[in-house]
Amino acid sequence: MQLKPRGTGAKGGAAADARLARRRLIAASCALLGATAARAQEATNAASDSISGEWNVDSALAYYHEGAGRIKAIEPIVNFSKTFGDGRTFSGQVVFDSLSGSTPNGALPSIQPQTFASPSGASLSASPVTYTTSSGTLATESARIYTVNPGQQPMDPNYHDQRLAVSANWGLPLSRVLNASYGGKLSYERDFVSVSANAGIARDFFEKNTTLSFQINNEFDKLNPIGGAPVPASDYALFQKTGGKTKDGVGMMFGLTQVMNRRWLTEVNFSLDRFHGYLNDPYKILSIISPSGGTTGYLYEKRPSSRTRKSVYWENRAAWGRLSMDLSMRYMVDSWRVHSDTAALSVRWWNPDRDRFLEPNVRWYRQSAADFYTPWIDSTGSRYISYASADARLGAFHAFTYGLKYGAKITDSQDDTTSEFSVRVDYYRQTPDHQLVGPGSLQGLDLYPGLQAILVQIGYKF
Amino acid sequence: MKIHITTFRVRNLMLIAAGALLLNGCASLGVKPWQRDVLAREDMQLNAEPLTHAINDHMYFSKEASSGGRGFAGGGCGCN
Repeated sequence: MQLKPRGTGAKGGAAADARLARRRLIAASCALLGATAARAQEATNAASDSISGEWNVDSALAYYHEGAGRIKAIEPIVNFSKTFGDGRTFSGQVVFDSLSGSTPNGALPSIQPQTFASPSGASLSASPVTYTTSSGTLATESARIYTVNPGQQPMDPNYHDQRLAVSANWGLPLSRVLNASYGGKLSYERDFVSVSANAGIARDFFEKNTTLSFQINNEFDKLNPIGGAPVPASDYALFQKTGGKTKDGVGMMFGLTQVMNRRWLTEVNFSLDRFHGYLNDPYKILSIISPSGGTTGYLYEKRPSSRTRKSVYWENRAAWGRLSMDLSMRYMVDSWRVHSDTAALSVRWWNPDRDRFLEPNVRWYRQSAADFYTPWIDSTGSRYISYASADARLGAFHAFTYGLKYGAKITDSQDDTTSEFSVRVDYYRQTPDHQLVGPGSLQGLDLYPGLQAILVQIGYKF
Repeated sequence: MKIHITTFRVRNLMLIAAGALLLNGCASLGVKPWQRDVLAREDMQLNAEPLTHAINDHMYFSKEASSGGRGFAGGGCGCN
């Protein structure tokens, strides 16, 4: 693997200046030759670095930690990209996730201890379970249950999972102003497999100052929930579960990228996607609550079998001297009546030698609740449930993210190469909105604990 | 029914007109090829940090009801 030429640095004097000038000339030439800003031409962002056909490698290690003993995740990720001599581009990505910790099961706290079965469990009894195996023999296993103390948020303490995802995308210039792209993604977890394919076309106008793009995506997911897929809205204590389930989705996206002026680039994307199939979270349940606040039972959640989402996304990039800025906004609405607004801003501040930067960022997010979201089910109401979920991710809440990133370019005078090291720390806080007060004994309990998380990302690219 | 058809046609005409105006506006924006020095900067590329975006998208996808916008809103993860 050949490394790219060294860029700017604090050392190097006139030679470094010459290299800087050459590098800027190459970058500007690349922009002239077709490195327009269209999203469909993702790999062109690296084209200035790989103009001579070298591989670019971008790697990161992310550590994610939620408060209150919830999920911890570690995620190594690496991206390879290359621009070939004929203008074709390739970008590949490999991600591995390892998650563990406690995850809310959807039930409410109670003033009484509550006992739940792990996903693989088949009984709420503490006694060993005897069952018939697929070969017809009887087997006995110890009970897989967990008990939640009074007042505590019910969480499955034994959650763990691993995910491996691989994706690849190719870009193909069809003419001086027309580019095609296509790619695919495969993601594997022990209870979930996802395969998707995408294709797109982008056309430049007005001396490559305007790019219109259109992309389509098709995804197929296979769910193999641990212990089986519960029958939606069935009684939790009956363990009515079936085999694997599927869902599939189709999406399309129109994009407009526009160079506004020498320092400002803007992009607007209109997206539409529709998913159909088993859209429930197989591990989420709801509490059935009596007027006195007591828990009389639980049901598995039941979500509609289709979901259509529409979104508008607007991103702006601007730069002045040693500062650059990325401001994005998104509005999304879906057929579950979830409306959300997102705004994110990051500002990068370079040092005079342009080999170090600091980048604070902030993100604000707000969503309304899905129309079938309910924190609990009233025991005195109808037992017929059309759709219901107590998954807090479908409730109304707002969230803030505050973060800071530091990056440093490292030059190696021995082999005339450069690389970049970065570290980012983000703090995420989610606060529930429009909270219903629980009846009776639930009034003194924290039914909506929210979420706090820290993300640390260490990156290295060369 | 006529009202619906008329409304539909008016809406389409407005969309077409808005698109034409937008494209016309785009023609008067932008820079000359030799003015792309700032636009060529690494931090001015829309996908300058693919890994940060991928990590963020995964985190927010698993904790919020919305996803996508920058790219497709697909899953590729059983966490939501």
